[in-house]
Amino acid sequence: MKERIPVVTEEQARSVAVHIPSELGYEKVAMEAAAAAAKRMGFSPDRIQDLKTAVSEACMNAIEHGNQADAGTQVVVVLTLEPERLEVNVADEGRQPLPLKVPEPGRPEDHRGWGMFLIRHLMDEVEFSTEPHGGNQVKMVIYLDK
Amino acid sequence: MPDELSASVRQRDGLAIIQFSGDVTTFAEDAARDAYREAVCDGGRNVALDFSTCEYINSAGIAVVIGLVTEARRQDRRVFAFGLSSHYQKIFRMVGLADYMELCASEEEAVQRIKPRVA
Repeated sequence: MKERIPVVTEEQARSVAVHIPSELGYEKVAMEAAAAAAKRMGFSPDRIQDLKTAVSEACMNAIEHGNQADAGTQVVVVLTLEPERLEVNVADEGRQPLPLKVPEPGRPEDHRGWGMFLIRHLMDEVEFSTEPHGGNQVKMVIYLDK
Repeated sequence: MPDELSASVRQRDGLAIIQFSGDVTTFAEDAARDAYREAVCDGGRNVALDFSTCEYINSAGIAVVIGLVTEARRQDRRVFAFGLSSHYQKIFRMVGLADYMELCASEEEAVQRIKPRVA
């Protein structure tokens, strides 16, 4: 009997990739995909709402800042489903670095920049990095037991 | 592919109620500002934002709401909000919006809050 040769890694086998155009509004497509994955894993409705907000904000940052809303670019969202955690990676093409400064709550004069604030506060782990080719990447993790 | 916001204004017992329908995002700014101007054009001091038919509010939409609340406070107006899901109530508290507007469970509660108290 011939041994089966895997064509994808174990991690890839548990992954879902969503490619969205760099146009505001499409972040909702990635958001709904992440929600469906989290629901399948058994996350609570509250945590799914947190995830939806974080994913949409990360995608908006990628569209507006990372890709400068250039119609010729895309944002790639990869969801990796593991037994106890869901990892979401949002990657853009790095036309501009992401704004990492967050506003201070309770200051009504700070109108913008709340996306990064929400991502940091709603997810269990967040990492920002720059890929070798220059793209920005945001890695977010939520755990089932938190 | 934005799901644009529509905003309508109605008056109830001294409260100007702006009802938002659709997504509160960056595309909501003009509709929200126009509705606010209409809501306060008769000089009323109390404004309520009704989010009961909004499913999606993002950070750009929060910025729009902050802009309205800032303008209302500058004009010495009280601002209420109702119809927010528990998730968006949490978000409004996290970003400090709840310090500048009163979050109510319902339209009725907002109306009750502006009624003069009888000793």
